[in-house]
Amino acid sequence: MKSKCLWRISLLMVNILFLHAAFGQSALVLKGKVTGKNNTPLAGVTVLVKEKTNEATQTDADGMFTLRVSGSSGTLVFSSVGYTNKEMPFNAAAVSFSVQLDESVSVLNDIVLTGYIKQKKSDITGAISSIRNKDFKDQPVLNIAQSIQGKIAGILVTSPSGTPGAGLLVSVRGANNPLYVVDGVPMTSESNSSLSTSYNTDGEVQGSGQNVSSISDINPDDIESIEVLKDASSASIYGARAANGVVLVTTKRGKNGKTDFSFNSFTGIQNVARKIPFLNSDGFVALEEDARAQDLKLYQQDPSQFPAGFDPALLTNPLPPSWHTGVNTNWLDEIFHTAPIHNLQLSARGGNDKTKFFIAGNYFDQTGIVIENFYKRGTFRMNLDNKVSNRVSIGASTSFTYSRNRRSFNDDTYTGVVTNAIGASPLEPVYSKSGNYSNYASYQASWLSDNPVKSAKDIIAFTTSYRFIGTVFVDVDVMKNLKFRSSFSTDYTNLTDDQFFDPITTDGQSVGGKAIKGLFRNTTWLNENTLTYQNTFAGKNHLTALGGFTVQSSRTNTSQIHAQGFPEGSGLQNIGSASTITSAADLNTGWGIVSLIGRANYDYDGKYLFSASARYDGSSRFDPSGRWGLFPAASAGWVLTKEKFLSSSKWLTSLKLRVSYGLSGDNEIGDFQYLSYWVPARYDGLAGLRPRNIGNSDLTWQRNKMFNIGTDYEILNGKISGSIEYFRGNRTKLLAEAVLPATSGFSSITINSGNIQNTGVEFSVSAYPIKKQNFTWTTSFNISYLKDKILSLYSNNELLSTYADLFPSHILQVGQPVGTFWGIKFLGIDPQTGNPTFDDLNKDGVIDNNDQQVLGKATPDYFGGWTNDFKYKNWDASIATQFSVGNKVYNLIKGTYMTLGWSDQGWDANNVLYQVYANNATLVNRRWEKPGDQTDIPRASLVFQNYIENSSQFIEDGSFFRIRTVNVGYTYRPKTSKVFTSLRLYAQVQNLHVFTKYYGFDPEVSSNGGDSPQTAGVDYAAYPQARTFTFGVNFNF
Amino acid sequence: MRKNIIFIFIIFACFSQISCKKILDLVSPNEVGGNTVFTNVAGLRSARIGMYNTLQDRNYYGGYFPLIAECYTDDGTTGGYDVIDLNEIAYRAVSPANIYITQSYNAIYNTVYTANKIINNIDQVPGLVKVEHDNTLAEALFVRALADFDLLRFWGQHWDRSSTYGISIVNNTDAPAQPVARSTVEQSYQQIIGDLMQAATLFNNYQGNQYASLSAAKALLARVYLYHGDMAQAVLMATDVISDHTFKLFGVADFPKIYIDKLTAESVFELVFDPQNTSAYNAATYLRGNALRSDVLFIANTNLHTFFESRPADKRSLLVDFIHNDVSIEPDGRTQKYRGETTKDNSAYVIRLAEIYLIRAEAKGRTAGLTDLNTIRTSRGMTALTAADVPDDAAYLNAVLDERRAELNFEGHRLFDLARTGKVEAVLGSGIQPIMPIPQREIDGTGGVVKQNPGY
Repeated sequence: MKSKCLWRISLLMVNILFLHAAFGQSALVLKGKVTGKNNTPLAGVTVLVKEKTNEATQTDADGMFTLRVSGSSGTLVFSSVGYTNKEMPFNAAAVSFSVQLDESVSVLNDIVLTGYIKQKKSDITGAISSIRNKDFKDQPVLNIAQSIQGKIAGILVTSPSGTPGAGLLVSVRGANNPLYVVDGVPMTSESNSSLSTSYNTDGEVQGSGQNVSSISDINPDDIESIEVLKDASSASIYGARAANGVVLVTTKRGKNGKTDFSFNSFTGIQNVARKIPFLNSDGFVALEEDARAQDLKLYQQDPSQFPAGFDPALLTNPLPPSWHTGVNTNWLDEIFHTAPIHNLQLSARGGNDKTKFFIAGNYFDQTGIVIENFYKRGTFRMNLDNKVSNRVSIGASTSFTYSRNRRSFNDDTYTGVVTNAIGASPLEPVYSKSGNYSNYASYQASWLSDNPVKSAKDIIAFTTSYRFIGTVFVDVDVMKNLKFRSSFSTDYTNLTDDQFFDPITTDGQSVGGKAIKGLFRNTTWLNENTLTYQNTFAGKNHLTALGGFTVQSSRTNTSQIHAQGFPEGSGLQNIGSASTITSAADLNTGWGIVSLIGRANYDYDGKYLFSASARYDGSSRFDPSGRWGLFPAASAGWVLTKEKFLSSSKWLTSLKLRVSYGLSGDNEIGDFQYLSYWVPARYDGLAGLRPRNIGNSDLTWQRNKMFNIGTDYEILNGKISGSIEYFRGNRTKLLAEAVLPATSGFSSITINSGNIQNTGVEFSVSAYPIKKQNFTWTTSFNISYLKDKILSLYSNNELLSTYADLFPSHILQVGQPVGTFWGIKFLGIDPQTGNPTFDDLNKDGVIDNNDQQVLGKATPDYFGGWTNDFKYKNWDASIATQFSVGNKVYNLIKGTYMTLGWSDQGWDANNVLYQVYANNATLVNRRWEKPGDQTDIPRASLVFQNYIENSSQFIEDGSFFRIRTVNVGYTYRPKTSKVFTSLRLYAQVQNLHVFTKYYGFDPEVSSNGGDSPQTAGVDYAAYPQARTFTFGVNFNF
Repeated sequence: MRKNIIFIFIIFACFSQISCKKILDLVSPNEVGGNTVFTNVAGLRSARIGMYNTLQDRNYYGGYFPLIAECYTDDGTTGGYDVIDLNEIAYRAVSPANIYITQSYNAIYNTVYTANKIINNIDQVPGLVKVEHDNTLAEALFVRALADFDLLRFWGQHWDRSSTYGISIVNNTDAPAQPVARSTVEQSYQQIIGDLMQAATLFNNYQGNQYASLSAAKALLARVYLYHGDMAQAVLMATDVISDHTFKLFGVADFPKIYIDKLTAESVFELVFDPQNTSAYNAATYLRGNALRSDVLFIANTNLHTFFESRPADKRSLLVDFIHNDVSIEPDGRTQKYRGETTKDNSAYVIRLAEIYLIRAEAKGRTAGLTDLNTIRTSRGMTALTAADVPDDAAYLNAVLDERRAELNFEGHRLFDLARTGKVEAVLGSGIQPIMPIPQREIDGTGGVVKQNPGY
């Protein structure tokens, strides 16, 4: 049925191709030269006859053009991005032109990709933000999402961890994980590595930990522009995958003119931006002595508070000699180091009328600020365009990426390198006298699971990835005003995980070392075919219509082998040398999506703008009865400044009102979820099957309906411009794990339920407060207020744990936003006793889990960024900042470094204390010490845990203001030399400073990795953010 | 040239459309559709293997179910990194949200579901011969009864026949999402006994003690009758098992091989694991020689040490180590029943012959039962008790319970023994609940149809 439908369309297209329309005869040949500032020739300027889009050409490297026109008179339009359009009349007498274009600060004529078609910014009716290469280049970042952090209103990009290659939490108007479309190829930013970074001591996976982001395979240096389709009406052209917003990434392509070589490189160093200060060994011992003295005082007053059989000798016996060795290890200094970072990019860009190319090679090498780990990436890109004839052009975009990542073990979770270092005793040396690693178990902190330096060095994990993305396409002018485009793309990933636990590590010890080998292979292919009709009727009615169909299909194979027992002392790590294979898994999976797309844009004289689009998607992820879905959208705009009553305004150059409404979907529900399956299971050496799930044939797309009103304004010809948006979105039919009665045999079933409302206001402004010959100042500012509220849920009040074996840290509750914290409310410290007091919510006289309540949220009330660029003669400077207000952080790891001398039964039969829980941060120095002390840190105590871990004692304000980048550069342009065109040298600091009250490494944190908004905002000793100093060069020749 | 290129693209574009249906009609290559399993004998056999696999879930006989029950008593305590839900077990104050209890509850009902799938569908399997039909059905009935009984003794008031706090009985898989209210304790017992009686009439083939068998069914019946208070029936069933010469009791010299070898003659029903399908016992109780308290989850209580110190001749004291442990574990210790750090394939000892002797000893009572009690004592290095050592029934019951504790510690019996004999408060402390709370998730998930246990 559906394929018949598609057949008809393809037949139609074939027919259309044979309808050749005749071209008219040329009557005049126009020639001329176009120049810009200082009379420099401008290449690539579009020259066309007004209202005749097929009579057009571009200027060559010397700014020269020749154009045959059919009419005997008319108007020539000269246009180029960054310049004000100029119109010149022509006739038989005026065939030679010398045109000078003025630089423009207006962005109204910028061409913006809006999904399958391009539009002028002034014609756009949806909420689309766009950012150019110049706004994010030269940053020492790996991931495109990181490069736009703080630059686009409505987009909240959170770096959950400083791990090189870590995934990012990207939220477009409150919806996480947008669809990325890189040069037309849709992809998600997923983690394809099977190495968990969150194991417990049994080697079981406890949380998602930090993932590695597959979108890191796209080199930011190759990117020309990024467009974010924020509202559902813009995004819904991507249908069943657009509910979380769409990020369109366009890479650089060749251009007409002489070949430009560009060499960009930076090199620098990184260190930990903020360290948590820990007690040294004297402070550590002093805290313990105070804890004992406080307990003794309490014991003398009221021994009944102590456990039965408690012997107060524990509080008076001298600490063993191991507490007075004089060793003083600063563990954070042992695992952190100053690490280098390098980037080299060489590209060439050029071409002629017929063929254009862009080729680039890049090498990025980042050493982690935690010892041993690194991320290296090499990328190659070649983008080609060829004009076969006047009506046919072909092209290709290809990129190849290789990356190798030495992972940090158990990044952001217990037993990890950073986590162990945070609790370690300062009295423990890194190495014992014999030169081996010291045995962590014989020192004063019981929190550790291994010597942190040993974990870093002798648990070796690599993730290596190869990725190829390639597209070939053909554009055909089928007839006047009608263009056909067909493209084939493939996206291939091959990723290998290798992890080796040396036999000397705690994890590998009892089994003689263990290893994991994981393989991931994915092939995705895509075919897209579109017909675009563009015409102008009666001079002022502009119509663009597009129809097409696309097919995308993906196959994935993942396999994983676990093995143990390696030849002693051999140094062998490959899985084949192990004595026992302990498990092997091999999974194949795949999906397919078939779509019909349609879109029409109409405007009357650029004044009244209308746009409608629809996508009809069929997805393999759903039951055949409900796998097809329609995603429509409509929007309209009104340019007020083209109306008489405003057209005379001197200062208001442009004012547009827009309104849009659309529906988009999300089919990221996992493959084969709608069916009941039995999975392989073994017993007694035999293979069998056991039930996996209860299928739900009603599973369908998650939906996002969004209403958007916006305005784009431009004042004084672009001196000030920007947008204001208001939106209200409803995300419905959310994927939920509905609680099933256990009697069903399963604990949950995947269903569509729930409704989350996102409301927000976004404001952005860019301005040129000063624009003089020698000095310009550009400033841009954006701020977004975003509120998300759960309207309905299948199971209200569901508690969520960040780690499988830890208490719940979050709740999903109607009326609250996603990512709401849950626990007991801390009221303060009793100045008389030094004990913390808590809110006894149910007034039963006992503080327990029945007193838990909502304690704040991980998402900010408002966030944004402010960027300033200055140019003085050849000098340039920029400073980019970012802020977030109202977000809270659940500092779970603080429960380890604010234990106030508590010992988990770490005393022996003779009541001699040998171990406490963990070393503490210096914040405990302001603890309560005597009656009357006003503080927020409780009394120290050896016997009692004088704090509650799942309470707001550990929830902190995570608001911050970050100076993200500061860059100062000097550009040298030789006046005559032909050797090179420009040389820019710069110095940059990334993450210069964070203003925050937060105590941990960084308030911008989410230990549970890059894709878990429900349990966001938890700090479990996340890998800290680096401060990076770089020196760089941009050399064009 | 130009036209050729166009045509190539067009042709490709068209071909790609032909496979539209192929692109959308994907089935998982790794799994088998639920509706195809019971369409042939091979599928049924696979489901039977899968059913045993469900018993091996980490949260069931893969380790946690017996170990949690044990560490709630004076035999054990818990370790871990100050994990609240584990601490609750050691403190014997478990909240309804406890993740370990919730996961065990879910895992056991998953076994019930799988057994039900076989019981409900076995009659429709084409080409199945009667012998295999009957034996497989008997195995499924046994497994369902085992699971139901584990539910009853962990979450139901199994010591009180008149109680309404039994289990949610599920016998089919037709309406899985439908909430099922709890039956009474007596109804639960009758369900379990009914399944086992039916299974006993169907078994026709002994396939080794890693599979359910007639003797396993009788052994479980003996246990169920003992809990239920039908002493005569318990004796009858126990006697049948003891007289099955497939099983034999080991002596002082070789009994530890129960825990070293696999599927020894002392096991009536034992779940076997292998290095590719490991159990959680070793990692949760021993892990490695120098493991810290935080590394292991289930620790032997110092109280068990005291207990064995009062029985110096008891060779079973060697199966628990209070000496070679990290100082952080002291004064508690670690059980030695689950060693084998490399392979981690320790068996689950579901029913052992020693337990059957002890059931019969208890069921027969002071005068007649002493022989059975002494059989166990003497085969573990202890001297035989005389009638004078156990002057009254109470003393005799204590002697049996001590023997059970010595024999079956860390195999998941102690809590149920204390509960069925009404000794929980006396031994574990006043106010301690003898059973676990129904998981809050279940109460929420059924909209309150399933009622919480009293005291929670």
